[in-house]
Amino acid sequence: MDFRFTPEEEAFRREVRDFLDKELPRDWPGTDPDLYHEDAFSHIHEVSAAMQKKLAAKGWLGLTWPKKYGGHEEPLWKQIILEEELTYRGAPGLDPYQFVGGMGDLLLEFGTEEQRQKYLPMMVRGEIKGATGMSEPNAGSDLANLQLKAELQGDYWVLNGQKTWQSAAHVADLAPVYVRTDPNLAKHRGISIILVEYKKTPGITMRRLEMMSGLGAFNEVFYDNAKVPKENLLGEINGGWKIVMAALSHERSYGVMLLINIKRDIDLLIQYCKETKDADGVPLAQNRMVRNRLAEVVIQQEIARNVGYKLNYLALTGGNVVSTANCVKIMGGITTQRVAQVGMQIMGLHGQLGPVGGNWRQMDPNDKWTRLGGRMKHLYLSTVCNTIAAGTTEVARNAAAGALGLPREPKPAPKK
Amino acid sequence: MDFGLSEQQEMLKKTARDFCKTELPKTLIKEYAKDPRGYPPQLWQAVADLGWTGLVLPEQYGGSGASFMDLAILLEEMGRACVPGPFLSTVVLGAMTVLELGSEEQKSAILPRVARGELVLTMAVAEPHAMYRSDFFELEAKHVAHHYTLSGTKLFVTDAHVADYIIVAARTKGGVTLFLVDAKSPGVTCALLPAMAGERQCQVNFDGVRLTRSDMLGGLNHGKAYLDKVMQRAAVARCSEMLGGAEQVLEMTIQYAKDRVAFGKAIGSYQAIQHHCANMLNDLDASRCMIHRAAWLVSEGLPCALEVSQAKAWMGAASRRITSLGHEVHGAIAFQHDHDMHLYTKQAVVGEASFGSSAYHAEVVARELGL
Ligand SMILES: Cc1cc2nc3c(=O)[nH]c(=O)nc-3n(C[C@H](O)[C@H](O)[C@H](O)COP(=O)(O)OP(=O)(O)OC[C@H]3O[C@@H](n4cnc5c(N)ncnc54)[C@H](O)[C@@H]3O)c2cc1C
Repeated sequence: MDFRFTPEEEAFRREVRDFLDKELPRDWPGTDPDLYHEDAFSHIHEVSAAMQKKLAAKGWLGLTWPKKYGGHEEPLWKQIILEEELTYRGAPGLDPYQFVGGMGDLLLEFGTEEQRQKYLPMMVRGEIKGATGMSEPNAGSDLANLQLKAELQGDYWVLNGQKTWQSAAHVADLAPVYVRTDPNLAKHRGISIILVEYKKTPGITMRRLEMMSGLGAFNEVFYDNAKVPKENLLGEINGGWKIVMAALSHERSYGVMLLINIKRDIDLLIQYCKETKDADGVPLAQNRMVRNRLAEVVIQQEIARNVGYKLNYLALTGGNVVSTANCVKIMGGITTQRVAQVGMQIMGLHGQLGPVGGNWRQMDPNDKWTRLGGRMKHLYLSTVCNTIAAGTTEVARNAAAGALGLPREPKPAPKK
Repeated sequence: MDFGLSEQQEMLKKTARDFCKTELPKTLIKEYAKDPRGYPPQLWQAVADLGWTGLVLPEQYGGSGASFMDLAILLEEMGRACVPGPFLSTVVLGAMTVLELGSEEQKSAILPRVARGELVLTMAVAEPHAMYRSDFFELEAKHVAHHYTLSGTKLFVTDAHVADYIIVAARTKGGVTLFLVDAKSPGVTCALLPAMAGERQCQVNFDGVRLTRSDMLGGLNHGKAYLDKVMQRAAVARCSEMLGGAEQVLEMTIQYAKDRVAFGKAIGSYQAIQHHCANMLNDLDASRCMIHRAAWLVSEGLPCALEVSQAKAWMGAASRRITSLGHEVHGAIAFQHDHDMHLYTKQAVVGEASFGSSAYHAEVVARELGL
């Protein structure tokens, strides 16, 4: 055993940190990725778009990918450190839909040579944005129940139906869309994946959904005879379930990302407690209840982060990641929500103030009372989805219990 | 003991529920939430016409002489429907204070107009540094010659942006005094805070506002003890709203668990979901007992410091748990703004923090226990 990073790893981490110190605006607080989009807040989007280019220039997009697609064939641990540092600083530019276990990896695993040649270099150059087209109104946890229909007509797949809760789809260029290609087969056997270029496909309309935080960053996507070239099938016809499994296992990174990102909120909260005095003139940081609460979430985060490292270790050494991945997903959701609750308790009425999105440099100049830029208010509202998106806590627990060999809940009687 | 509602209370509850159902669809409530004023004047008039603004006022002032317990039942229904507007501010903070402390002149000038829906009142207590702790108030009413001048800042004042009168708790030489301040007086300025929930909160500045002795409520330096009472009343009123909200969340959640199908079955048939619902129910039942007891004690004028603070400390945490589980069962659909869940989630967050946070009230409990 050895719980240290190697000197090489430490050196790369420093390199990333130095890069971020140099390239991020000095007062960059890190924001919710839902604020990066061009139609959200232009001053944030500009930072985000510029960072994507800078990361590309550094060779940090597609870090681990083969050189022939523009990648750099670096070891996975570098990617992990890069993700960690960017996430902690809330730095934009590394689009999770493409890189962090996103569709780039799916293309490498399942794509044709032509598909890889076409799309991976664009991703590496930081030219496109991605999304993920899984959920439908009646297919959330039960993804195999998806109904969006795709029929092969001549050289095209013709898509009809609906997706929903598609994060970032309104700004995305490309997404793997999960479709039903054979309604007569058992549910999970009739599914295929099609690479859809949203902006270039007639017949697609989107309706923006406003989130409870007030941001409008996910969408309903309607397909009305939308035609996608035949060659955009990813993997085999009706062979999509295998890709679903791969895509979901890639979501290992979601829980880890949540946990790294929340460290920044904790650190800011600690800073707030050092700088803020109660009515007696005593800094909050000296209040025993406050100290206890902060210590409690720091411990929770530290534990979860270490389990995250174990997950990375298992991934790097080819171990079985299933139980640990579920564990991290569950801890990610619960820990981030807990931090928001504790933050609210400590900040009291000040915590619930702030502009939509806890938005950097968008404070009303007359607003003297919002603290941490409204971050805690936004955190409380936005972390509500952390136990739901990318697989609910309940379903992850079911999977964890299944992996323990416990009998499953009985299935319903088949419909007549 | 009797845990039940009286016939009159049942009727009041039903009227309120029916009114909210027909007149206040949630789409409208979400619209008002984005409007700076926060509610339409016609709604306020309708609420007054139903007799709610005068509910606890004596008949001689145009009210119906009902008890605080009755008011708490009404507030439950209002919380359940997320009724926007300055009701709690006007009635619980404002009118009840005027009724108890006001001179006959003040009462007859103000209360009948409140009952008719012509006036909005509120009270300004919290300050940037002191929050609710009156020993640390900085806002001061200085005695100069034959009048007082009021200077300082109050924070998190509910509905001050539409208030006609603001009751201000000010430091005076030797104590704390309440003043009834006309919101249009020179020197009063008000700015909306970017608060999370539908209820409007304001920063109110008082810059040399000129007052006289006749603007006092309850006399010089009698404010401190009375503020404890106001805080207790407000805490119970806030808990009542949260209780109603939590009840609505549980009902919505149970309905959704029955309707939503995943993996070929209603999600409510999965024990993970059943346990979430059962946990919500436990919290709700416990809350109802605590809040009703606290409201009853206030209503009867019995000593209640310990019980009220227990209730407020409990309700804050319980409604946070209930709304979190409500979201959990609903999945992504309730993360959408067009869903109703978030109204209650926000209500719970603000509720937990306002009129004394859970931590504040836990401290009161500790003090009451002699710790
Ligand atoms: C902010 C946000 C962003 C999202 N972004 C995307 C995106 O970009 N692309 C995309 O495709 N999707 C996206 N989603 C959708 C997400 O994948 C789904 O919300 C998720 O899979 C859960 O599905 P659901 O919301 O339909 O909940 P449901 O599946 O309806 O679940 C409702 C409740 O039932 C429980 N439940 C279901 N089945 C069982 C069971 N067998 N046992 C016990 N409990 C069960 C769940 O745990 C949950 O508590 C997003 C969601 C959110 C909230």
